[in-house]
Amino acid sequence: MSNTRPNNSIPNWRLPEAAYIHIPFCAQHCGYCDFAIATGKDAVRDNYLDALEKEISKLGKPHPVQSWFLGGGTPTELTATQLERLCLILKQWLPLTGEAEFSIEANPDSTTEDKLAILAYHGLSRLSLGVQSFQEPVLQLLDRKHKNPQVERVIADARKLKISSISIDLIFGSAGQSLESWKYDLSRGLALQPDHFSTYGLTYEKGTPLWKRMNRGEIIPLEDTEELAHYEAAIDTLEAHGMEHYEISSFARKGRRCWHNQVYWENSAYYGFGMGAARYVAGKREVNTRDLDSYIQKALSGQETIFQSEQLEPREEAVETLGLNLRRMQGANRERFFMRTGFHLDEITGPNKDHLVQQGLLKDDGESLSLTRRGRHLADWVVTRLF
Amino acid sequence: MTDASKIRNFSIVAHIDHGKSTLADQFLLKTGAITQRDFRNQVLDDMDLERERGITIQMHPVTLYYKLDGETYELNLIDTPGHVDFTYEVSRSLAACEGAILLVDAFQGVQAQTVANAYLAIDNNLTIVPVLNKIDMPIARPDDVIAEMESVLGIQPEEVLRVSAKTGLGMDDVMRAIIDRIPPPSGKPDAPLKALIYNSHFDSYKGVVIYIRVVEGTLRKGQRIKFMRGNTDHEVAEMGQFRPNPTPCNVLGPGQVGFFMAQVRKLDDVHIGDTVTEANRPTAAALPGYKEPQPMVFSGLYPTNNDDFEELREALMKLRLNDASFTYLPEVSEGLGFGFRCGFLGMLHREIIQQRLERESQLDVVQTAPNVTYEILNRNGEVIVIDNPQKVPVDGQIEEFREPFVKISFLVPAKNIGDLMQMCAERRGIYQRTEYLSTSRAILVYEMPLAEVIYDLYDKLKSVTHGYGTMDYEFLAYRAADLVRLDVLVHHNRVDALSTIVHRSSADKRGRKLLKKLREEIDRHMFEVVLQAAVGSRIIARESIAALKKDVTAKCYGGDITRKRKLWAKQAEGKKRMKQVGQVELPQEAFLAVLESDD
Repeated sequence: MSNTRPNNSIPNWRLPEAAYIHIPFCAQHCGYCDFAIATGKDAVRDNYLDALEKEISKLGKPHPVQSWFLGGGTPTELTATQLERLCLILKQWLPLTGEAEFSIEANPDSTTEDKLAILAYHGLSRLSLGVQSFQEPVLQLLDRKHKNPQVERVIADARKLKISSISIDLIFGSAGQSLESWKYDLSRGLALQPDHFSTYGLTYEKGTPLWKRMNRGEIIPLEDTEELAHYEAAIDTLEAHGMEHYEISSFARKGRRCWHNQVYWENSAYYGFGMGAARYVAGKREVNTRDLDSYIQKALSGQETIFQSEQLEPREEAVETLGLNLRRMQGANRERFFMRTGFHLDEITGPNKDHLVQQGLLKDDGESLSLTRRGRHLADWVVTRLF
Repeated sequence: MTDASKIRNFSIVAHIDHGKSTLADQFLLKTGAITQRDFRNQVLDDMDLERERGITIQMHPVTLYYKLDGETYELNLIDTPGHVDFTYEVSRSLAACEGAILLVDAFQGVQAQTVANAYLAIDNNLTIVPVLNKIDMPIARPDDVIAEMESVLGIQPEEVLRVSAKTGLGMDDVMRAIIDRIPPPSGKPDAPLKALIYNSHFDSYKGVVIYIRVVEGTLRKGQRIKFMRGNTDHEVAEMGQFRPNPTPCNVLGPGQVGFFMAQVRKLDDVHIGDTVTEANRPTAAALPGYKEPQPMVFSGLYPTNNDDFEELREALMKLRLNDASFTYLPEVSEGLGFGFRCGFLGMLHREIIQQRLERESQLDVVQTAPNVTYEILNRNGEVIVIDNPQKVPVDGQIEEFREPFVKISFLVPAKNIGDLMQMCAERRGIYQRTEYLSTSRAILVYEMPLAEVIYDLYDKLKSVTHGYGTMDYEFLAYRAADLVRLDVLVHHNRVDALSTIVHRSSADKRGRKLLKKLREEIDRHMFEVVLQAAVGSRIIARESIAALKKDVTAKCYGGDITRKRKLWAKQAEGKKRMKQVGQVELPQEAFLAVLESDD
């Protein structure tokens, strides 16, 4: 288990070489979050691991993969013992091979040294730390409970344990946040010298507590132009510090891109296990139930845990591939796109493509199609006009 | 041929949703025309759309046989629609009958179309068999409703039958009442043929199928017949009755109802209300027939893709084959290109035509806001008919601008009268009278411009009365009014399809409201989009839509991809309904914004 993979390796897209494992438990429900999570369910964590083991064991035989991604929820809410058990389950059914990547999403307040040590022992190579902000008012708005010293401590522990890549998640564009305040967060983040940044504009997802507060007029979201300025500042600042902007929300030092996430944007196959987990195997997209009790009960009794299943048509798959590829700064390469989807890129794009290029939103060098800097701000708008 | 004394011809008239189709299905079941096994709800509504919307649009005749006291009777049930747009169809059905079942919901009671349809039946000299439906509902209030029927329609309480069409409760009494109370048709079988054409439909294999009711004489297969109005001769190639499936027969005598085909290829060659007679022994006088319905509501239909113009024409032509009350004429709009101006009987009719068009042709069309027909008296004394706001001449040429007025009846809970009166006053309504059905319910009659009726009246009525109010209207006359054309400029270009005709006093308010609505409906563009409302050269309102700066999803990982793709697909679908006007994309909703009120 060594470093992260080199940037230019091509993930196999038909059969999964990546595995996502969902750990839904959280200490509390953050106001902006609409992921599949469960709070106050500490008592069923062991049952959950039983269920997860049962679900994974349906593979029948070990399937070697090149990445594990423990996401949540809050995977670090599990105890050290539980994390150990989880790693053993994964080792049995999804052994890591080659230059593997093992990522975990971690919260500063629940990531203790003993947990990190267990994970490092099992090959943890990438720690993605949910910092979001270094400032109390922003953290409060987001319902984040940790304190800055905890962030510093976890990073120090990770370095000590030789976890090779450390990533920091930051959220910009919070209600009331000024550009200066966001730049302050960026500088604090840079001071920690992480290998990777994920920066997200705050989204008011329908149905979340934050969305309800917005609808009641208690929170006034930032104007587009202000949020845009935050995003621009992130690109400028991080690039100036040697970070490569390689995907809409992702920045990495050389050689430190997240391999697992690139599988998604390449639209390659991946396994997904656990409550609410999504998988994409042989062109079929499936999502597990988002209800904890029903997931556990179904998995343990050997029933199907799938809640949605969809086999994509070749053309749908090609459209999806292009949309996802465009999230990457490298965009979509014509030759690879054809080999990968069986469609010429230019049959998937409509007559609008040239117009979007003229408007300065897309770049087309004949080999690849990608978003311009201005296009990145309007990625969704561009994509819907492209097909 | 059944002897006329054993024939009963009747319709069912009711307010929408009072259970007419369910009762009709009970007749089919009761007379063995269908078996319990085949019994689906609402067999008579065979158009998909009708079933979906639970309303009957076109008349469906059915011939039933029923045995009572040892005698077999032939009962012809002619279904009628229950919506205000289709009053014309109702009156056509009624003219082919001697009786009508007046069906009233035992909870909802007498409603606006109960009254309107009952009067239509009375005007046609039909015998009315009053029936109270849904008496098994726990919330039924049969005694109150019977009192309403007595006070409004003069119905004798003891004549009212109580049934549940859903369970079949009380159906035997209904069968007996039909036979005992409704008079048999008269007419001599050996007289020269005189048959009323009350409907027709186009069958792509057989050509035009003509629905008739024989009044005098006998129609036979192979007979040479003549359409009296068109004065054309034909030979009866096939004939039959609907039982309920088309069943061939060779002879139809006085009072009988059925259909025939006579090698007529075009629906336009058959006139509803015309009289069929024998070619070599014509009857002396034709039946009175019907007045043709005039489309009262017009809107533009444009293909989203201009190349689909010819396909749209084909599709409209096909629709018209089965619905002669709908009209279309090509027109050109500066903003929307080539399209058609279509005329409808009313708003529901318009909606149904649009849905059928989309279902049957797979064309993406953009529809402009509907308007009524206006008349303009020019300075030179000429009257022009305006079915499209674009045709309004410049101010100086107009001597008088006239709009259609209707007489509108509302049936509302008494406690809502105040709100209703205010609502009518705001819509230029002219109060006529109030009539109480009981202490708690009343009929209010107004005269009102039809334009106000189609604008948002129905929705407003429902909200003011919490769903308990109903309405019905009929055309009165064209009357002079102070009307102006309200134009909309999108990014400094006048979009002719967004123009409307409004009363001068409400132009400012409507203009502001319309722009607000448009602002919500039009997506943000890469530049600021300016919206203006104008009367003549005077700008009366302005709004702008800020340029789109940012539209990007922050996170897109494994679980988000499906959601993402659906969003793309949804937006791409929405774009299909967009019309490019200059540099601005206008969605279908923008063209209908004119119609909606935001309060």
